[in-house]
Amino acid sequence: MIIGAALLVGATVVVLGACVLLIFAVVAVRARRHSRNQRDEMLLSPLRPPLITVASGEDDDGAAAEELTWATGVSRTVLDRNIVEMLTKIRGVPAEQLVHVLEVHGAVDAAVADMSSRSTVKRARAAQLLGLARAGHTVPLLVEALGDESVEVRNSAAYALGLIGDPAAAGPVLAAIGAPERGLPAATAAEALQSMGVGISEVLRDGMADANARTRMVAAHLSGERSFTRGLPELRQLLDADPDLTVRETSATAIGRLGRAEDVGILVRHCVPSEPLALRRACVVALGELGEAEAIPALAHLLADSDPRLAELAATALLSMGPDGRDALEGHGDDPAVRTARLLASLQKASA
Amino acid sequence: MSWDGIASGLRSFVLWIMDVTAVPIIIYFVLINTSLLVLIGLAYLEFRAQQRRRSTAVAWQGAGLAPGVSLLVPAYNEEAGIVMAVKSFLTLRYPRHEVVVVDDGSSDQTFARLEEAFDLVHVPRELPHEIPIRAKVLGIYVPRDGRTRLVVVRKENSGRSEAINVAINAASEPLVAMIDGDSILEPDGLLHVTRPFADDPTRMVATGGAIRPVNGSRVVSGRIVRVEMPQTWLPRIQLVEYLRAFLLGRTGWSRLGGLILISGAFGLFRRDVVVEVGGLDPTSIGEDFELVMRIHKRLRDEGRDYSIEFVPEPVSWTEVPVTAKVLRNQRRRWHRGLWETLWAYRSMLFRRKYGRIGWLALPYYWLFELFAPLLELFGIVIVPLALALGIVNVPFAILFLVLAYGYAVLVTLSAMVVDEWAFHKHDRWRAIWQTIAASVLENIGYRQATVWWRLEGWWSSLRGKKHVWGVMTRTGFDEEPA
Repeated sequence: MIIGAALLVGATVVVLGACVLLIFAVVAVRARRHSRNQRDEMLLSPLRPPLITVASGEDDDGAAAEELTWATGVSRTVLDRNIVEMLTKIRGVPAEQLVHVLEVHGAVDAAVADMSSRSTVKRARAAQLLGLARAGHTVPLLVEALGDESVEVRNSAAYALGLIGDPAAAGPVLAAIGAPERGLPAATAAEALQSMGVGISEVLRDGMADANARTRMVAAHLSGERSFTRGLPELRQLLDADPDLTVRETSATAIGRLGRAEDVGILVRHCVPSEPLALRRACVVALGELGEAEAIPALAHLLADSDPRLAELAATALLSMGPDGRDALEGHGDDPAVRTARLLASLQKASA
Repeated sequence: MSWDGIASGLRSFVLWIMDVTAVPIIIYFVLINTSLLVLIGLAYLEFRAQQRRRSTAVAWQGAGLAPGVSLLVPAYNEEAGIVMAVKSFLTLRYPRHEVVVVDDGSSDQTFARLEEAFDLVHVPRELPHEIPIRAKVLGIYVPRDGRTRLVVVRKENSGRSEAINVAINAASEPLVAMIDGDSILEPDGLLHVTRPFADDPTRMVATGGAIRPVNGSRVVSGRIVRVEMPQTWLPRIQLVEYLRAFLLGRTGWSRLGGLILISGAFGLFRRDVVVEVGGLDPTSIGEDFELVMRIHKRLRDEGRDYSIEFVPEPVSWTEVPVTAKVLRNQRRRWHRGLWETLWAYRSMLFRRKYGRIGWLALPYYWLFELFAPLLELFGIVIVPLALALGIVNVPFAILFLVLAYGYAVLVTLSAMVVDEWAFHKHDRWRAIWQTIAASVLENIGYRQATVWWRLEGWWSSLRGKKHVWGVMTRTGFDEEPA
């Protein structure tokens, strides 16, 4: 016999035992969640009225906020957790009052201490709390956390730096995107950088020369979003020669937003059939965004392009460029691309 | 020859078979269970990371880097639910998305319902031919209000794959999501599945989301308002299968960097990459699997740096078969698609440039997905025969059966723990007991039936029999539990 009876019995007992344990685990997970929710609800219920008063901006004399500072023990922990959650949604005086409650509770100081905790969750939550409390003095600590071994902590640190909005942190945030093995997710970095004001334009220019494609893409995207015209030379370079297609498309879109008449030629150069179709389409849209009359002949030429979408985008761009653009459509009135663009424009106009 | 002689001959034959196959089968049994354990371990690690991420998640509303998404909805005779589905897709929480419906030559009122609900007007647009299409496009329509981001394309009937290819040609956003017209998406589903693209915009080429059966749940206006268990055992058992497949299988493979299957009910792809590889193959039965394999092959052949990820958050809810007839057709199709795709990409096996796909994922699918029903059928035939002939010890055989099926239950329970811990979609305690019961009942009849159906699908492919698409009878789910 290949399998001994003892081995078979043993294996069966282990498997069935594990099944029973897992059933207990399912029940325990659910029961624990229920009891924790109930406990939190019970602890929070007496504090809820003053909390709502503060959050809704009706605590004119500060009495409700004062009442919240008296919470102790587990109630305080539960309350602080709820305050942190609320701070993601409210601004102004109510937010300042709630931050004051956190400060009185020692939550901000505890968060600073928690930044060196061994627990990933604690470090990440601490970073978020420091951001929500707009604790500007902790920027160096948060910048350091951008290199944390855990992506959750890096994410939270970038989020916090975005909330604090200190442009001095822009360089480290952008650099963190391409950090080997410990990269910062591009979406978080972009959102953080969005909140850092106009002082980040030079950082973005440097970012466009970074070796990492994600860093270049974020820098190019934000340069366009924030209309940082100083980044135009770098954007042109990226559109011309970047090895990554996504970066080139992003650069074309950015040039469309903030470019000048001299950028028409650069964009037109990348509308030729030898370029990837996605890039050609991005360049045509960018030409329309740019709205420079110099682009009209090139766009009119593209009305006969073999790609119907490109032709329609060119027609749409020409329609948005005033009488000269519309004149360029004459003679193409029967083209499906032109008819479609005209129809869509008229529908949009009628509904405006 | 006397009966005794026949019995003796049969006994010798069965003994010989058992002698020859015992070692390979035991090795297979150990390997498949070990691989499942490894997948459970990987899924556990992934969920621990996901749970950490969720508990420390910062608000993301898709601002900034969120790429635009075109939701591609092929529709064939969907008059009952198409308007509600499109409305719910249009109102998903996402900063930039459009819906592209392709009416695949419906013989019912699908188009008329859409035309009436959205006041559609014909546009003289020509569709790009980035992906070649055989069927004739009859017309393209948009809502008269000029604001609603909906495009409806009417075409001659030529099947789901080509309908999706037409939709890809008509799509204008950089990401395309392939979804069924009868699927229900979570309001934040798009935010979840696009996040990997926003985080890693230059490398991410595809993401898949978890799919759950909607049967039994309360649905109002295309939104799930209460998640409930299905009312009959057939869909309940399928729920158990979905839990296992998505919470352990896909999650584990994604963690390992070897995800090769994204479900057709919901998958999100970079449009340019799908166009580059030629779109869905209309001749393939397992078109979704085949597409992902083609993407892997092309990008690895070109040495490109890319990523395909699975997002375990429930994204899409779909109605699963409630009758054995429909289920049989589905399983036959799935297994046939699996076989044809694995065979088509056999050249990727054990080749260094395909990395974990060639060395781990594909061998796993060959051994433990494709051949599993064959070996299980062998067991289903040989064990009762051996018992009848008195060759094997009865308590021993029963114990082995309990071990084998007990292990299957163990895997399901692992998925249940993960589900309860991470998502806890079902509020009622009754749901727990019903799921546990379904995981046990699955082994009595259901499993054996699906083994047979899968083999039927494989066999019909080997015989070169033309596949006939069955009709998925929908019970519908508006207002009342499905």
